Amino acid sequence: MEKQLDRVMDDVLSNPGVIGCVFADHQGLCLGAKGKASTDSAGIIGAITDQAAKLEPQHKSPVIVLENDTRTCIIQRSGTITGAIYKNI
Amino acid sequence: MGCCYSFFCNEDGSPQRGEPSERTHLLVDPVSNNSNIPIYNSEDFLSNSNALPKKTDEQSALNRILQETATNVIDVAALDSHNLQQHEYVERMRQYSLKLQQACASNKLPPRTKMCLLQDIPAPEKVLSSESVNPDDLRLINSAVTRAAAAISDIKVEHKEDMVVMFRVPD
Repeated sequence: MEKQLDRVMDDVLSNPGVIGCVFADHQGLCLGAKGKASTDSAGIIGAITDQAAKLEPQHKSPVIVLENDTRTCIIQRSGTITGAIYKNI
Repeated sequence: MGCCYSFFCNEDGSPQRGEPSERTHLLVDPVSNNSNIPIYNSEDFLSNSNALPKKTDEQSALNRILQETATNVIDVAALDSHNLQQHEYVERMRQYSLKLQQACASNKLPPRTKMCLLQDIPAPEKVLSSESVNPDDLRLINSAVTRAAAAISDIKVEHKEDMVVMFRVPD
């Protein structure tokens, strides 16, 4: 069942600098989280994507990058799935 | 009026001539007024040489009255007619513009502060001019999300047991 998604998350975490990832469905419910990522953030990530997509509705789903001095959070939606990857800078 | 005044001067002869004091009458006694006032004609002033000092006296007294009246009266119309000189205009203009600049500097105008969206960032040009998203990150998130979406769509319920189980009730 969700083995395929687990494998995808493991692959993502194997990338250099990546410390965590989380995936949410179209309602913001958590599908899976690995590494330093909270399952609670799934809803917030979904909401951020919804709001960002309203800026330019004619374009496809945008990539949102939240950044501070030490980390970045990259968010994108594909179909009904929203993914977020946390990286150390 | 001039006649009345000369009458007073002649009568008391005090050092405070013409000056109002506690002894000066506010109203002229009508009886003495009728009897004692010497009446001067205009010819008398012109022709009689003896009347000359009296005339100058009278003139100075009139001038004094005029001055006193002028000091007591606030002439509103005259206030407006104070003409500003050219250099005064320039000086005032400079003064006002200086005051205006000071007022603008001390009170930040609300529309100006609202112009900047990135108020919490001290140097927005630095942030805005920094390079955009790393292409590697873009590639990473793209592949991860598409693969995750594919993985989710592959999720199927594996049928292992019968959903409906017949309870065999022993006969």
